[in-house]
Amino acid sequence: MENNVQNLNDVPVAKLSDYGYRDYHVLAKIWKVVSTILVVVIIFMIYLSILIIALQSFNSSSDVLSFNKFTTYWYTHMFDEPSFATPVRNTFIISVAATLISTLVGTLVAVGIHYSTKRFHQKIMLLNNIPLLNADIVTGISIMLIFSLVMKIPGLEYIFGFPTMLVAHMYFCLPYVILNVLPKLKELDSNMMDAALDLGLKPIRALIKVIVPSIVSGILAGLIFAFTMSFDDFVISYYTTGNGFNNLSIWVYSSIGRKGLRPYVHSFSTLVTFGSMVILLAINFFMGKKGVKNGKKH
Amino acid sequence: MNNKFGRLAKPYIIWLYIFAVAPAIVMSFLIFTDMEGLDLANLKMTLDNFSQLGEKSTLIAFKNSFLLSVITTAISIVLGYLVAYKLFRSNFKNKFLILVILILPMWSNILLRTEALANIMESNNIVTTFLNKIFNSNITFPQLRGTYFSVVFGLVVTYVPFMIMPIYNSLEKIDRSVEEAALDLGLTEMQKFWKVILPMSSKGIITGSIMVFLPSLSGFAIPKILGSGNIVMIGNVIEELFNNMNYNIGSLLAMIILVVILFSITIVNKVDKEGEMLL
Repeated sequence: MENNVQNLNDVPVAKLSDYGYRDYHVLAKIWKVVSTILVVVIIFMIYLSILIIALQSFNSSSDVLSFNKFTTYWYTHMFDEPSFATPVRNTFIISVAATLISTLVGTLVAVGIHYSTKRFHQKIMLLNNIPLLNADIVTGISIMLIFSLVMKIPGLEYIFGFPTMLVAHMYFCLPYVILNVLPKLKELDSNMMDAALDLGLKPIRALIKVIVPSIVSGILAGLIFAFTMSFDDFVISYYTTGNGFNNLSIWVYSSIGRKGLRPYVHSFSTLVTFGSMVILLAINFFMGKKGVKNGKKH
Repeated sequence: MNNKFGRLAKPYIIWLYIFAVAPAIVMSFLIFTDMEGLDLANLKMTLDNFSQLGEKSTLIAFKNSFLLSVITTAISIVLGYLVAYKLFRSNFKNKFLILVILILPMWSNILLRTEALANIMESNNIVTTFLNKIFNSNITFPQLRGTYFSVVFGLVVTYVPFMIMPIYNSLEKIDRSVEEAALDLGLTEMQKFWKVILPMSSKGIITGSIMVFLPSLSGFAIPKILGSGNIVMIGNVIEELFNNMNYNIGSLLAMIILVVILFSITIVNKVDKEGEMLL
């Protein structure tokens, strides 16, 4: 008995590596640190331009390439230049109008797609991808060509400007709303609608009272996407504007061309970034609260 | 009843035919004609527009576009996957906040952002002067504006968020039990990643690649500002042609891009029938 135990101690003990396993513990730890640093660097790079814009906005010199002294002057004198105030106003008008119309129309269209035949569904989803994936420059030129032809109709010579830009923005905003709303509709219990109708609701009231509340998060996401795309758009606006109607992007583009960028533009941009961050965090906060409430209910 | 709601989508398909399909027909027609702008009265049928494709400037622009957007996409896949994977593995599960982090930069003007990047690509710029003021030093950056590096850098940082989101979405759909099964069956963490997770998230990679590749291929503002005239991409050529009212050759080049895009759309439709990866 005793002999056996002693012998066992002499027997070489197999290590994990003998079974083909290798110890990656140290490597895994190093990788964890390295990858975390990399992720932070990448996020930093995504935000690099925003940080530079912020730095430029506090620059007392109007030379964008050299920092002189720290100042908040530009924040209080943002719209002193009237040529800047107009494009900013236009940008807001266009993107708010395009977003609201697209959200409303897009939601209705999504409901329509949801209740249509499978073939129609596939066809419309294929076409719906075109505005989403098409190159901005091709979309811009396409819409410009259509409006150039429409312009040949007598009485419509001066459509280029606000109306054309609004239509163009709606064109590329609608797919975002539809793609955000459709998945929510799919999660919907199809009996709910039937129940509402059986209980005597008119279809439109049923839509507002039953469907819309259950897809509101999709509508909201679509709205945010649409606004993001519309507010930031340059290329499509550039091709569909006319008659002196400018938005911020077009104004910035021509300012870069004639080296006319002044720090008040950067102040405006920084305020927009900060403002939108606050709004989005607020939305997140309230959505989070609502989520908890719903969770308790069920 | 359902048909009544189904009718709501009908006007939209007409709208799509007008703005998405009709222009392609108009452009295909313009390719074979020669006129100033859209002066339909003085229109000539011709095949001369195709000779532009042999021009050296066009070929260089195409080469630059394809090369730079392939490089941009490749870098974005690696970096985007890393970020998406780390976010997915972290305890940070608030998808809305992740989305916010990624789309927030897009709320400031893209041209202003590109111009800001171009700014720090100069040897003496806002950051060096700022640092030199604080530390009383004499730092300069390398002069990068106008190089391929600056254009690729601009493209990657602008479009990598479009890669992160689809990959994150596809990672989220992987069933936890599949991963457990892989480990139970004796795969190491490394093998599990290469053999299980990566193939299962390939949908997201494909969608993300297209979302990055297409805007990089066709963009004209980023190469114009960051390339400062040295690097001409196909978007710049098209812009120039349309500014000079040369709609015919412009349409030809635009149609080539459109064909690439339609090809990509069919791929997206194959891998992602409901468009659920896109957002």
